[in-house]
Amino acid sequence: MPFSTILFKRSLLNCQIVVIVSASLNKGLNFDELMPLHPAVKEFENMVADKERYRKFLQEWLRYSWRWAREEKYKLVFRIQASILHAIREKLDSMGFVEVLPPIIGPVTDPGIRGAKQVTFDFYGHEYKVMSSAILYKQYMAASLGKIYFVSPNVRLEPLDSIYTGRHLVEFFQVDLEMYNATYQDAMKVAEELFCYVVKYVKDVHGKELEEKLNRSLPDFKPPFPRYTYKDAHKILCTELNCKFEYGTEIPWECEKVLSIHHDTPIFVTEYPRGARGFYDREDPTRPGILLDFDMLYPEGFGEAISGAEREYEPAKVIQRMRETGEDPNKYRWYLEMLKELYPLKTAGFGIGVERLTRYICGLRAVWESRPYPKVAGIAPTP
Amino acid sequence: MLFSIVGLHLRLLGKLRLLTGAKEFIKDYPVAEIARRALKGRDAIYPFGTLMEYGTAVLGSTVTLPRYPRFPSLDTTIILLPPAFTPKRLDKMVDLLREPTFEDVNLECELGGFKVSMPIVAGTMGSTAIASKTSIPIAKACAKMGIIYGIGENVATVRGYSKRLTRGHPCFKERLMAYLTNIDKYGGVIIQQSVEDAYDELWNKVYSDKDVEPYLEEGKIGFEIKIGQGAKPGLGGIIKIPREQVERLKQKYLIEDTGKEKYVTRYSVPGTYTEEILRGMIRNMRTNYPRVRIWIKLGPFKDAMKVIKIAFEEGAHAVVIDGKEGGTAMAPCVAMQHLGYPTLVSLAFIRRARLLGIDNKLSLLPAGRLYDGSHVVKSLALGASGIYIGRPLVISALVKGEQGVINYLESVKVETQMLISALGKYDVHEVDPDDVASLDLNIARALEIKWAFELPQQDI
Repeated sequence: MPFSTILFKRSLLNCQIVVIVSASLNKGLNFDELMPLHPAVKEFENMVADKERYRKFLQEWLRYSWRWAREEKYKLVFRIQASILHAIREKLDSMGFVEVLPPIIGPVTDPGIRGAKQVTFDFYGHEYKVMSSAILYKQYMAASLGKIYFVSPNVRLEPLDSIYTGRHLVEFFQVDLEMYNATYQDAMKVAEELFCYVVKYVKDVHGKELEEKLNRSLPDFKPPFPRYTYKDAHKILCTELNCKFEYGTEIPWECEKVLSIHHDTPIFVTEYPRGARGFYDREDPTRPGILLDFDMLYPEGFGEAISGAEREYEPAKVIQRMRETGEDPNKYRWYLEMLKELYPLKTAGFGIGVERLTRYICGLRAVWESRPYPKVAGIAPTP
Repeated sequence: MLFSIVGLHLRLLGKLRLLTGAKEFIKDYPVAEIARRALKGRDAIYPFGTLMEYGTAVLGSTVTLPRYPRFPSLDTTIILLPPAFTPKRLDKMVDLLREPTFEDVNLECELGGFKVSMPIVAGTMGSTAIASKTSIPIAKACAKMGIIYGIGENVATVRGYSKRLTRGHPCFKERLMAYLTNIDKYGGVIIQQSVEDAYDELWNKVYSDKDVEPYLEEGKIGFEIKIGQGAKPGLGGIIKIPREQVERLKQKYLIEDTGKEKYVTRYSVPGTYTEEILRGMIRNMRTNYPRVRIWIKLGPFKDAMKVIKIAFEEGAHAVVIDGKEGGTAMAPCVAMQHLGYPTLVSLAFIRRARLLGIDNKLSLLPAGRLYDGSHVVKSLALGASGIYIGRPLVISALVKGEQGVINYLESVKVETQMLISALGKYDVHEVDPDDVASLDLNIARALEIKWAFELPQQDI
């Protein structure tokens, strides 16, 4: 029996059948049938139902990761991951993007990360950070080369409850791209094209293995994917789909899931209200309070895939938004100076997590299966 | 010769003046009264001492002691109105099947998103030596008494997060864990983050701290946005730090180094807010720290009502309005004398907010020279959800450590229960504006409460 199965016996019998919304509540949407959650997602949900047992499992899983990394299943996962990266580079290069080396450290990094702590260290008497995302540097290089991307390592000391999401790693990679003089709609188009290309590429190269070894069949996706503004998503969820949450707050995962099971493709949620996002998502000057940004959600319950936006470039606006995190803008001095000097630094872009994409494509339980030597919040020691 | 005598005289006068800080505080603030409570606990609610025991003393309300501030206060103008007829006491008697006593008064309530044993909050005290030295006994006592405990700004930055950076002073985590490991079913901790603490991501640190995680899960953690404080509204934190710490802190703080003294003055900035920034900040916090209670601490600002409105609309849990009597370890004299309004005006804002429909979803608390049971009950009657105190706890801790703080809190608890029972009520939620009146007609009008001399006109 493979190591992974010994550690946590699949208990598919316990899987709850997802009937979250009845068909009668489904009038506003064009789907008669609900897309079921992927069995791996259901299995993950069952695992975390017993938090203590899940934690123990995860400790073992992380501590002895070299053991399962040698199993046939994971050998394939890692080979597919390489193909995913290959496909991303091939596609982006063909679209005129230039791959640029990402920064690893700097005096500041992305502060717009939900409750996660940054890694700080002493840089010759100054405090420096390990990149939690290279977002501030994307604009820097987009100003130079126009269309750029990083394959970028990020470290985020996530809150401890993040181990129950299946989507959070402390150390992960994202493909982070940025375009000069572009809008968030342009970025969305790139996102869906890129996603479709990667899925097709992996199917072409690994289709048979995927089905035989991972029991995963992927559909043929075609852009454009459905788009909901946050406002519409809020309305549909609260009135038609019976998943209530307060306007202005992030859409809770349970509600995102409800929305996504009504679709057999990824979906976009756009135009989040201001306050729920980092200072760099641009506020629509004609519609105060509305941000020109988007998230893409995977189908089958795999959750958030991509976050992107047009960037705020008015220095005064950026400073005001920085204060919303309680910080002294002086900390971001180089960035603010750059915004002033390169005014107007109009860019748009997005980031797509490589481990999450691998999880989706391979149909895995959680991101701790889609990366070698995984690290999650609060669990140590690990390789 | 003459000049040198005059010079000596003036220097002497100056030196004497230097002593006045402590002297004036002791003269003006009821230090002795609180010290007595810290020593005697529940017994301190009676005005007996070694020289005047029960049986020998003749007591009455004091009206002439010259220690009242120059502006109206809860003490000088607001009185409680006990009734002769007490239908609620009858209800309670039916419940208990006996005559109720003051000890039957329930003080348990929800306050700023926490369940508490009584509506008193140990306000956020910062990194100053005195607050720092007394912080551990206060933390333990508050935990054991089931009340909310605050940790002020700059503690982690100046004293260290989990390792002590200054000798003899507990670090941030020591304060935090001294409280959290001693709580039972009541309480919660509120943590401030100054601009400089934000540089070090204090809130993120707490939110991803393994030791804090179980308490986050239980909903025992709150973060307090500090927009100002009573003693120096509009000015940031000011403390003196030993010269050897300058090197470490100069990256983050404005430091006034005259180059001679052992201590140098360290300023922290007040932080810039607009309505938009505050709104965005609360939203950010709700997104980033969904398991945390959100508190806002205000100085005596003229636009307090706008803050209350934004806090209410955005789903914050509590707003504290510090009157100008609010305590501080260090504030410029001109600020204490001239900036901002007294605590009674803070209460007027709270009273008005309630009249305008800000319901109990948002806790509202006054702060500033509040220290006894009458202050609790009067504040509740005017629409406050509880009171926010600092100095009484520090004084009590100085007098008798943790036990002193427990004694002090016990005395306030008993007084509060007595006063509420005297109003013919048995639950803290039942206290309402009908229970108070003002001796001053203008204040009565401003607070929309009864004027004490306005007697009923109806026929007998």
